[in-house]
Amino acid sequence: MRPLILFFTVISCCFSFSQNKQILYGFSDIPQSLLLNPGGKVKNDWYFGIPLLSHIHARVGITGSTVYDIFANDGIDFNTKLQNAVYSMKSKDFFSGNQQLEIFSGGFSFGSSYEKNEYLSFGLYQELDFIAYFPKDLAVLALEGNQNNINRPFRANHLSVAAEAISVLHLGYNKKVNDHFTFGVRGKIYSSIVNVNSTKNQGRFITVPGQNNFYDHIFNLDLELKTSGLASLTDDESDSTVRDLTKRVLFGGNLGLGFDIGFTRQLNEQWSWDASVLDIGFISHTKDVENYKIEGDLVYEGVNPIFPDSGNSQTAEAYWNEIEDNFEEIFKVDTTTAKYTTWRPIKLNTSLNYAFGEKQYESCNCSSDENGYLNSVGLQLFAMTRPKQPLFAVTAYYYRRLFNGLQVKATYTIDSYSANNIGLGMSANFGALNFYIMADNFLELKNIYSAQSVSLQLGFNYIFNKNED
Amino acid sequence: MQKQIIKYSFFVITIGLFLFSCTKEIDFKQADDFKISPVMESSLIFFDEPASRFFVNNTQTISIVDSIEIALFNNKFIVDNLIKADFVFEATNSINKTFQVRVDLINDTGQQLHTFTILALPSTDGSDVVSDHVEEFEGDTLVALKSTTKLVFTLSLLAGGSIDPTTPGRIKLRSKAIFYLNIDEDI
Repeated sequence: MRPLILFFTVISCCFSFSQNKQILYGFSDIPQSLLLNPGGKVKNDWYFGIPLLSHIHARVGITGSTVYDIFANDGIDFNTKLQNAVYSMKSKDFFSGNQQLEIFSGGFSFGSSYEKNEYLSFGLYQELDFIAYFPKDLAVLALEGNQNNINRPFRANHLSVAAEAISVLHLGYNKKVNDHFTFGVRGKIYSSIVNVNSTKNQGRFITVPGQNNFYDHIFNLDLELKTSGLASLTDDESDSTVRDLTKRVLFGGNLGLGFDIGFTRQLNEQWSWDASVLDIGFISHTKDVENYKIEGDLVYEGVNPIFPDSGNSQTAEAYWNEIEDNFEEIFKVDTTTAKYTTWRPIKLNTSLNYAFGEKQYESCNCSSDENGYLNSVGLQLFAMTRPKQPLFAVTAYYYRRLFNGLQVKATYTIDSYSANNIGLGMSANFGALNFYIMADNFLELKNIYSAQSVSLQLGFNYIFNKNED
Repeated sequence: MQKQIIKYSFFVITIGLFLFSCTKEIDFKQADDFKISPVMESSLIFFDEPASRFFVNNTQTISIVDSIEIALFNNKFIVDNLIKADFVFEATNSINKTFQVRVDLINDTGQQLHTFTILALPSTDGSDVVSDHVEEFEGDTLVALKSTTKLVFTLSLLAGGSIDPTTPGRIKLRSKAIFYLNIDEDI
């Protein structure tokens, strides 16, 4: 029993992510920004990412309590802190995680006209996505029991978990139609390595004052955990596991399809508006599926041992056996291999940008193209579908080209995790070698354990720019 | 050149910021102190019968015996984590006769480990007479409970008056178990 509450309240507390990459979005000096908007501006002529190092992304965080709230070495009893955390958190609080590792990527511009206005980008990346909502009712039941909770329903829908490891092969097309409009699409083939999904649980357990006895205990359960890719990993102890996983990364897993779309609209010389929708897609889980289901209704009021009420001939023993059978029946885990489909979390990004501060060339005062501005500010909106309710984030940013080949961006984000998330990012070019790094929640870095979320992205690319100057 | 120096300094400072964030004191070993103490209540046995139920085939039934086999108390979770249990009984009698319910706790070799009785006192005027009984299981009796695989219930009429098919009143019993758990095992 201990693992249940501890697992959900403590261990999961440490790992929580969303997929907002507010610093990278629109940072068009970095080729990977095209993954956040296939219709974004392209500044390079061609590039390739250093394999396995071109994009490393991780985000950890939590809503509700923090690791520090529970584990601070402050002399307060651990169980008191744990209880405070359980009582202060809500069932909509969650721990969620996202990690990405680009295995390879590249892109090049092409086109028939003098100025190449089309761009193809491609790559393969691995992604881990995880969300677990805080099962408040179950935590309270484990903490208190039902004695002080007569008439309180313990709801099974508080239990909601989804996790997946996938690899994504993608090919994107970007076209700058004219000076005012750029659009892009990206097709994706997903290969699911492991999937665990339990997001549609229903039912409840409640104890109410009874007619015949002190209490009626009412069980009404409809719980299901779907898995794919897991059974074969836990079943056999053979040493082929690594080979199996590698194969799944390379499209031996459960396959799915999806796409991204996006555009950039240059409203005038200084104002621009862009938007993208990512991961409109599904994965069909047909191989290595194992689902577990608990379903049924039961009202238990105790046993009438001396005068069993159902027929004269029934003994107390038979009557009790029937009750035991009913309990076994409702808590019996049905295992099936029925295939299922999961939808990828859909992400929406949009931003309104204003560029200013023209670059002064020493030779002439002739900067008029869009690259001529040194600064930009803007507002970004991020939204993402999640099992219980969508996640939103609003970001204000300031972007500055410090030198040729050194750009920085600072962001201020309000989201489910916190209302004062400051992020910083930079992209530096050393010749053709590009390095970028970005992280957020700088205000919390004085004590990382009290941070509600922390993200880090970094990577190395070789970039060949259109306007080498 | 100056630009280069500034550029590289900026680069180094930024990397430094990422690497040297601070932490306050955290002690993950506190998880070893993990302990929760839920209290679960569960309905136990019940009945509610008219006096005439004790008059079968023109004879007064003196006692009724029945039993149930129960695996719950030997369950590893209960054995490991149950620190105390109370069985709470509430008998409501409106029959002018004293009833006794005897509960025997039997282990799987048929040995009696513990026994207790609940008295339902008589009602002289037909009104409800409520008798309460709480059987506490702690120490030796708790050990006995955790070895129990069978409960035998014996309902007996004690001396006083006599019952015939027209005797008014009812005998009613409600009961619940209160399980005090202390869960602190290692993960």
